[in-house]
Amino acid sequence: MSACAKTVSCLIAVALACSVGALQAGPAFAETPSEPAPFSADTPVFEEVAADAGIAHSYDGPWEFFVGGGGAAFDCNGDRYPEVFLSGGKNPAQLYRNQSSAGRLTFEPIPIGIEPADLEKVTGAYPIDIDQDGNMDLVLLRVGKNIVLKGDGACGFEEANRHFAIDGGRDWTTAFAAIFEPGAQFPTLAFGNYVDRTAPGSPWGTCADNVLMRPQPGRDVPDYSVSEKLKPGFCALSMLFTDWNHTGEPALRITNDRQYYRGGEEQLWRVEPERAPRPYRRADGWKHLSIWGMGIAEGDLDGDGWPEYALTSMGDTKLQVLDREFEDTPAYRDEAWDRRATAHRPYTKDEGKPSTGWHAEFADFNNDTALDLFIAKGNVEAMPDFASFDPDNLLMGGFDGRFTERGKEAGLALPTKGRGALVADFDLDGSLDLLVVNRGGSASLFHNRGAKSAFGTRPMGNFLEISLNDPTGNRDGIGAQIVVRVGKKTLTRTIRVGGGHASGTSGFTHLGLGVAERAQIRIQWADGEWSHPYRVFANSFVLIDRGSADARYWYPQRRNAAEK
Amino acid sequence: MTARTSVIPGLALATCLAFASPWSVQADEAPPWSEHAVKVHVDQSELRGVLSLGDLSSLIDKGRALFEARFTSLDGAGRPHATQAIIPTAHRRPVEHDFQRLAGPDANACSSCHNEPRTGGAGGFVGNVFVSEGFESADFDTLDPQFSNERGTNHLFGAGLVELLAREMTADLQAARTTALDEARRLGEPEKVALASKGVSFGSITALPDGSIDFAGLEGVDPDLVIRPFTQKGVMTSLRQFTVNALNQHHGMQPDERWGARWTGTDDFDGDGHSNEISAGLVSAMVAFQASLPSPQEVEPDSAEWRKAAVRGREVFADLGCTNCHRPSLPLDSLGFSDPGPVDTAGTLRTGDVEAPAIYDLALLDWAKALPRDAKGRVLVPLFGDLKRHRIADQRQAAFGNETLAQRFVERDVFITSELWGLADTAPYGHRGDMTTLDEAIRAHGGEAYEAGKAYAALAEKDRSALIAWLKTLRIGE
Repeated sequence: MSACAKTVSCLIAVALACSVGALQAGPAFAETPSEPAPFSADTPVFEEVAADAGIAHSYDGPWEFFVGGGGAAFDCNGDRYPEVFLSGGKNPAQLYRNQSSAGRLTFEPIPIGIEPADLEKVTGAYPIDIDQDGNMDLVLLRVGKNIVLKGDGACGFEEANRHFAIDGGRDWTTAFAAIFEPGAQFPTLAFGNYVDRTAPGSPWGTCADNVLMRPQPGRDVPDYSVSEKLKPGFCALSMLFTDWNHTGEPALRITNDRQYYRGGEEQLWRVEPERAPRPYRRADGWKHLSIWGMGIAEGDLDGDGWPEYALTSMGDTKLQVLDREFEDTPAYRDEAWDRRATAHRPYTKDEGKPSTGWHAEFADFNNDTALDLFIAKGNVEAMPDFASFDPDNLLMGGFDGRFTERGKEAGLALPTKGRGALVADFDLDGSLDLLVVNRGGSASLFHNRGAKSAFGTRPMGNFLEISLNDPTGNRDGIGAQIVVRVGKKTLTRTIRVGGGHASGTSGFTHLGLGVAERAQIRIQWADGEWSHPYRVFANSFVLIDRGSADARYWYPQRRNAAEK
Repeated sequence: MTARTSVIPGLALATCLAFASPWSVQADEAPPWSEHAVKVHVDQSELRGVLSLGDLSSLIDKGRALFEARFTSLDGAGRPHATQAIIPTAHRRPVEHDFQRLAGPDANACSSCHNEPRTGGAGGFVGNVFVSEGFESADFDTLDPQFSNERGTNHLFGAGLVELLAREMTADLQAARTTALDEARRLGEPEKVALASKGVSFGSITALPDGSIDFAGLEGVDPDLVIRPFTQKGVMTSLRQFTVNALNQHHGMQPDERWGARWTGTDDFDGDGHSNEISAGLVSAMVAFQASLPSPQEVEPDSAEWRKAAVRGREVFADLGCTNCHRPSLPLDSLGFSDPGPVDTAGTLRTGDVEAPAIYDLALLDWAKALPRDAKGRVLVPLFGDLKRHRIADQRQAAFGNETLAQRFVERDVFITSELWGLADTAPYGHRGDMTTLDEAIRAHGGEAYEAGKAYAALAEKDRSALIAWLKTLRIGE
């Protein structure tokens, strides 16, 4: 939700009264799902190490920064260890160089080389190699002009709005997504905007339009001089290009904050080549859904190639599954309750008040092959009708498709106000770590230490980390699907730029392999072409170059002699 | 007490036993006539550090008992809802037969096959097994090799030494890789290094400045540089991994460390009504038993004529170039067998899965004390192998490549060098166990060994006979 001031919190409370009541009175949901067996897989132990690791950063500021609070994890110097960029709201954004070694997270703040004022009012960031020079660039979402930073491959950056002919606008930008459209040399960019504060009657019913920027064809450098409005905008807080119907033609999904729109809803836009974007409507099968949408996560929970979505909100999280009874229509049913993923109230110190969800991301935190769901949680500011102690969720995926909350056991139950988050393997040890940007407090850096055991921690399941390279264009394979086969289980990941809450990551794609010692990988590149199978051993980092006969094994750089 | 139990107390007891925790019915509580085969209990948490000779001997005894146990349905034998696959995989439908010779379960005890010349040994053709890469087509009902590879049963004598050699070689190769990567990164240019360990060459790798490796020159080992010394194919890392796989495939006894709730969400994955069928401690006992099986020996024949022929035979063996792969011995630095071991991955108990691994010091065992050592004090393991995979079949001589399926990324005509120790007691020969004489097996060498096999065939009859005479001195021993 919502960038609502304390003065409007009572209105929100009224608006929510019915739904909150329903949430609190569990039976208002559908029939209670049967009690699952106790969670028996590994629960990762997250150790909060931000201070020790050298990250001291806070996202803060007035109303405009009640939302946002994201960051980016990406490699800006070619060593494949993900650096971290964190937005600060009224505070300056900060870039941290990753100096981690196996078993120890270490970051050091480094200057980013642009005007200090441009690093202020930043709400979030997404990494993407816009000009396809092999160096990661960075899109800064801001209150005011959005800024694109062109990377030099050594963690140096320069503002590139003019170079790329990008109009950063003057909006309050809170969402971003990108995709390569067929035949395009450069990506198409989508910016999601929140409340138009200058419109009469603001903030109620004054959501700004969103913007789509397509690269002009036939240019050697990206040229985004022509942009299109995505009207109407409904106060977007997250957006994601997604191949919802498995046709290879991604659409743009936008989650919107009902707090400020009038007559709005969740949105899905057709983005067809050389055509103006068009929203799916009820006649197309799109079901009206109005939530305090704040974050989108995409994941293929059942390995069938069709994505499922988690949508965070105030109160219950939605877990949307395509309803295949309606052929070729974007009709979704919510399975959050059945799968125990509503996460609608704090799992500890629950005072009966609904919680507030922001960043959402599917990932396999315990390497058991099942996707887990992380949700950053936190009160908007001081809303009395919502949980003030609102810990982040770690919903561990089970082998039966249902989730079990293990945030407390994992060490995530901190009194913070989470916003954006970065899920990445910061020390390249095969286990996913977690960085959460908190509003009004220090960012949390959770180092995944392995599974809890009687004697401390123990290693979890096997893993695989994969990096794609397409020398024919779209270098990082944005939109490509990675399909990994272990036994008769199929695991899929899609390379995306967007989603979450104002936060993006790039670099290795991580998969847990459970007990599989070997795996077979196939890539469906963004243009639909399938690779041949690549056979790889578990617990490896592999680089797959399009068209190559073999996957290449890659090894993290040793930063001290004790590392193997 | 109910009338029923008062009339048939034994039945009542058996019923209770069937549904209670396996541990509650083992060892002390089970009557001598119990139809449970698992009658021992081992607490894995108590296995740590170097075991004394007494503790090790006790563990070995328990391991032998398990190795020879004919598992019963009361123990959890059978896997009605699980396949033989090494990754826990559910059947699409319950199996029709509790036992069957193809997809398994196909044996009552480990020693049902590993029994020649005694427990832990090899098996005749009757003990052949089928390895399948398929996960869903487990109920194949044909011998068509497109579905599986049929393999003879190997002996396990000296297996502890083999695994220790493999671990040390793995460490050598991976250390070379690390050094090469450091250099390539430091110099900013490719760094090509020869890979070798214990005198065995594994070709070369080229480390690239970007941190990746070019494996084009790699020979005889997987790209992860893990020496996998077990099975005919050389695709099993450890005795522990082999044991965990085999318990499920051949007996339907599912070790917790792979089929337990941690990895499957249930403690009865095979749906036979028995949870936690084989604990980590029991697997450890079986590993200890196998790891401690004595090293085969070269035994001097009683017959003077045989002795004389054997002397000549060994010369022929060297002259033919057989020792290029069948290395007479490999040096071993340490006889400390840690269990769990350092190389296994999830699903086989790992070093990190326990607070501290147990160390089975093979040096405590009498047979190990008799092993020869070199000037550096290293044990010379007389395995007549190199723990390396080779292409052993081609169009000129395809007999050893009698399969159509690759196995675990290893091509169909590539196998690990068979260790020759114990050869005299472990006929028949060949991967499929379908060669009844050593002469046939030698002539069957193709691929990299084609010239050696051809040279053997061209020998005078007397020299061929001498070679056989010497090979017949490689005994499992008493």
